[in-house]
Amino acid sequence: MSRVLGALTVAQMRALWSAGYQALEGRKQEINDLNVYPVPDGDTGTNLALTVRSIVEGVARLPASSSHPEVCQSVSQAALMGARGNSGVILSQIVRGAMEVLSQTSAPSIEVLAAALRHATDTAYRAVRRPVEGTMLTVLRDMADAATAARGMTDLTAFLERVLAAGWESVARTPRLLKVLADAGVVDAGGFGLVVLLEGVANGRHAMETPISLRWVPQPEVETGVFEPTTEEESRFTYCTSFLLTGRDLDPRSLEERLSELGDSLLVVGNSDQVKVHVHTDCPGDVLNMATALGILTEIEIDNMKEQEAERTARLEAQARAGQAGRGEPAGPPGTETSAAQVVAVVAGEGNKALFRNLGVDFIVDGGQSMNPSAEELVRAISQAEAPAVVLLPNNSNVIMTAEQTVGLVEREVYVIPTRSLQAGLSAAVAFDRRRPGEVNAKEMEMAARGVMTAEITRAVRDSLVDGVQVRAGEFIGLVEEKVVVGSADLDHVLEVVVGRLLGQGREVLTALLGQGEEALQAREKLERLSESYPGVEFEMHDGGQPFYPVLLSAE
Amino acid sequence: MIINRDTTAIVVDSTADLPEHLANDPNISMVPLTVYFGEEAYLDWVELKPEEFYQRLKATPSLPRTSQPSAGAFLERYKALRERFERIYSVHLSSKFSGTCASAEVAQSQVDGVRVVDSELATGGIALFVDRLLDRLDRGTPEEEFEAYIERFRREKIFYFLPTTLDYLYKGGRIGRASHLVGTMLNVKPVLAIEGGVIDVYRKVRGLSQALQVMRDGLVENTVPGKTTYVGYAHALNEPVLAQLRELVESIPDRDIQVRTVSIVGSVIGTYVGPGAVSLSFIQE
Repeated sequence: MSRVLGALTVAQMRALWSAGYQALEGRKQEINDLNVYPVPDGDTGTNLALTVRSIVEGVARLPASSSHPEVCQSVSQAALMGARGNSGVILSQIVRGAMEVLSQTSAPSIEVLAAALRHATDTAYRAVRRPVEGTMLTVLRDMADAATAARGMTDLTAFLERVLAAGWESVARTPRLLKVLADAGVVDAGGFGLVVLLEGVANGRHAMETPISLRWVPQPEVETGVFEPTTEEESRFTYCTSFLLTGRDLDPRSLEERLSELGDSLLVVGNSDQVKVHVHTDCPGDVLNMATALGILTEIEIDNMKEQEAERTARLEAQARAGQAGRGEPAGPPGTETSAAQVVAVVAGEGNKALFRNLGVDFIVDGGQSMNPSAEELVRAISQAEAPAVVLLPNNSNVIMTAEQTVGLVEREVYVIPTRSLQAGLSAAVAFDRRRPGEVNAKEMEMAARGVMTAEITRAVRDSLVDGVQVRAGEFIGLVEEKVVVGSADLDHVLEVVVGRLLGQGREVLTALLGQGEEALQAREKLERLSESYPGVEFEMHDGGQPFYPVLLSAE
Repeated sequence: MIINRDTTAIVVDSTADLPEHLANDPNISMVPLTVYFGEEAYLDWVELKPEEFYQRLKATPSLPRTSQPSAGAFLERYKALRERFERIYSVHLSSKFSGTCASAEVAQSQVDGVRVVDSELATGGIALFVDRLLDRLDRGTPEEEFEAYIERFRREKIFYFLPTTLDYLYKGGRIGRASHLVGTMLNVKPVLAIEGGVIDVYRKVRGLSQALQVMRDGLVENTVPGKTTYVGYAHALNEPVLAQLRELVESIPDRDIQVRTVSIVGSVIGTYVGPGAVSLSFIQE
């Protein structure tokens, strides 16, 4: 058996993943643009890049003396924790499968590589409840087939070329397997991203010959990136500061460097138009000053972590006291209600967050469309809960898998309600009752979420024929139950059509969550006029503050 | 001993909110609680009728206060009734809400033949309870059987109510601050239940029709076809919504529904649930 790669050291493993990450990062926007729906949603490129970045950082944290199985194990774990979006979750399963095989030998042969791809395929298919062909799963399987066929080869470069060529061919075939891709005129973003990643990793082997770039030398003291300390209390800084920066020609990486001088637990994610920043610092003013010079800030949040910690301690003490005094009556005085369950919800927009909090949701993870949280972020929120059970509301179809990942990652009863929208999440939260056990809440909340009909209005990010509707880039599109029903430059017209569909029969309350910007104001006025045409329906309007979507609607 | 109209009287307090036919029944006697607007005291139902009460409730800046009848008031009533009846069943507002049961128990200890029953309910729920007991007086029922029915009713009855706002329950100290604030921004309607004598959130929904539907579905889930379901309603001067609720409940296809009582929520319970509340109680026999 030929040992084609030599023995893999920690540094070499890091170099391989680092090369993969850089390849993804370089083509991230291209991958993001492969969305099936012409909506600003589900950034596959960003999600894949962040997931791989988590792997690089996981390896960077390992001591150089780590054994090969330890390295493989930590790659799997980092992929799992860093997984963002459905594509990230599937990638984490692919990585897990591959690592299970690669951990067997520190100097893999071509045969081992082929076996790793095969096992990765099996693992990923098993992890997905209803595997769909024409996605990254198919692309992976086609590469595994090519690798199996070529496993007798002796030249590594030729072998890799054969496998990658099969990958690209498979990517090109995805529109033939999946009609939505053909309709949208795109190839599958996840499959595309997967081949980009493997190509990057394959090219990374050249970097292994020479001393590795110093970029990923472990620096545990000033760890930056998607991982934050597992408990916020560990931060030596006082203020947790986060905001969304919108501007032109933004450079997340240089911003990250400048911010790293002001604090730790740094998270800078985004692209040249929009960047999400999260940092622990003692001087939030300086952070905001620096950022305002670059663009417009929204969703600004500054929390005093030391105060939060003090409040938490006080709350726990109060609970302990209440516990000693015996269980209060359910109708007892304020503050004695104990929680059998708590809710973690993924929410974008300050107004929406306030609505969720008002419904008794204790923990909110920032995110939603185009900013999918990692499993790590969800796990951290779940870990903060004091109740024995946690109900998780992903509120986005691209966060559901990440949410489901968390179930095995924390020692707590976690129930995931597969809410595909913020609006469905709100309906679920309405049914939440903290005094009831998680299982009962989960059942009631899932039922409530199913009873609601949802719609969204946004701007098309490109020309497209989708669900039989021709839409043009920049025009408004209306989606009802996730299907495009209307596209037009006239927002009023789009609202009329969407509301008409929503209020078909037996609906009593129409809830509108208005987003950022002037379009939301126009939408509010139009909805007020429309309400006169529906005398039996109560129109409730709230400033949700979500980006990209001027209006989110639900009817129940 | 046989419990019948000759041997037995039923005493209630004013929170039973008895409909007229029960209030006028010769075997039933009512002892009122007191409602205070500032310094002015009114005997519930006797001196203050719902129509006037809700008008004043809307106008008053601070919530009225209520107080239980004295043990002396019960003692007097029991003594008077014992001259004509061997046995008195004294059925009262949940002891978790009020000291009325406690007053009655003090009086009970000084008169033979009185049994105080904590209904673990309020308003229309107690009215339905009394209706079912009176049915057994009419038939004549052995004491053990009668006592067993009391336990059965306490165990099996269902009581839902829907306030138009949680403000009154909160201000009256009947629910905590957290429950009060939950859902205010989204106009969430909680359907409440009284279980084990205390108020509990049964389900939370948005919109009136969904809330009424939840009450209807609750009846369907808790009963079976082929048996009679006895129903009592109550409303805090809200005929239109009560009519909607009745339409929903009484059109359930395969349930034999017998409407026994329709109560108007009086001043004492009205102080805590506020105007416009509706309730549904039922038991299947």
